Amino acid sequence: MSALRIPQAILDDLVAHARELDPFECCGLLAGKDGTVQRHYRIANAVAKDRQAMQVFDDAQVKKLGDLAETTRAEVAYFMDPQEMLAAFKDMREKHLDLAVIYHSHTHSPAYPSETDVGLAYYPDAAYLIVSLENKSTPDMRAYWIKDRRVFPAEVQAI
Amino acid sequence: MIKVRIPTPLRPLTKGQGEVESQGGSVEEMINLLDSAHPGLKGRLCDDKGELRRFVNIYVNEEDIRFLQGKATTLKDGDEVSIVPAIAGGR
Repeated sequence: MSALRIPQAILDDLVAHARELDPFECCGLLAGKDGTVQRHYRIANAVAKDRQAMQVFDDAQVKKLGDLAETTRAEVAYFMDPQEMLAAFKDMREKHLDLAVIYHSHTHSPAYPSETDVGLAYYPDAAYLIVSLENKSTPDMRAYWIKDRRVFPAEVQAI
Repeated sequence: MIKVRIPTPLRPLTKGQGEVESQGGSVEEMINLLDSAHPGLKGRLCDDKGELRRFVNIYVNEEDIRFLQGKATTLKDGDEVSIVPAIAGGR
């Protein structure tokens, strides 16, 4: 896979999104053409409000999340709002863009995909980008390809 | 005719097509017909008991079938169906 090219303004906006929602996890999609990102879609983290949200996780994770208050769930997990996702995919179709990046933030841990992130990675053609606010003053951003539960670093080039 | 939007992870099963045509009076029938035309598709959408996998979202004309009648949701000529795997993660 070749490097992803992402406009600096969009990279800055990913960090801004993560900071706005801190301590809750943010999430969203980037779309483009031939590995060059052109569009940024912020998607609501619906883990605390969507009744399907809990079902996508495995039983151990459901138990763990179930023990938390609803609002606290969004500090440790994300679930993209399905209607907003559908609208983003529709916009990509109309603009002839492809899904390039799926991003979310980790507000208390490093920019590395968790076991749950890997288990729920159903889009092998999109890079998974994580913004870590573990160190609040110096956010870290890393991207990965996740295929068949294996994680490979993805190169990101700011343009 | 029903237009079905296929998400990128399932396009290897539809020869790369992002949209395919299908038939069927319900979502369940449509899935069975899709699987005849594109073998393996049903296994990606449904578990061994034929129930929709929990991370698969299906929309009929942008309505989530969870809020309609699930896989029994009726379809008619001209309907558009979107299949969208959930995107989620967590510690």
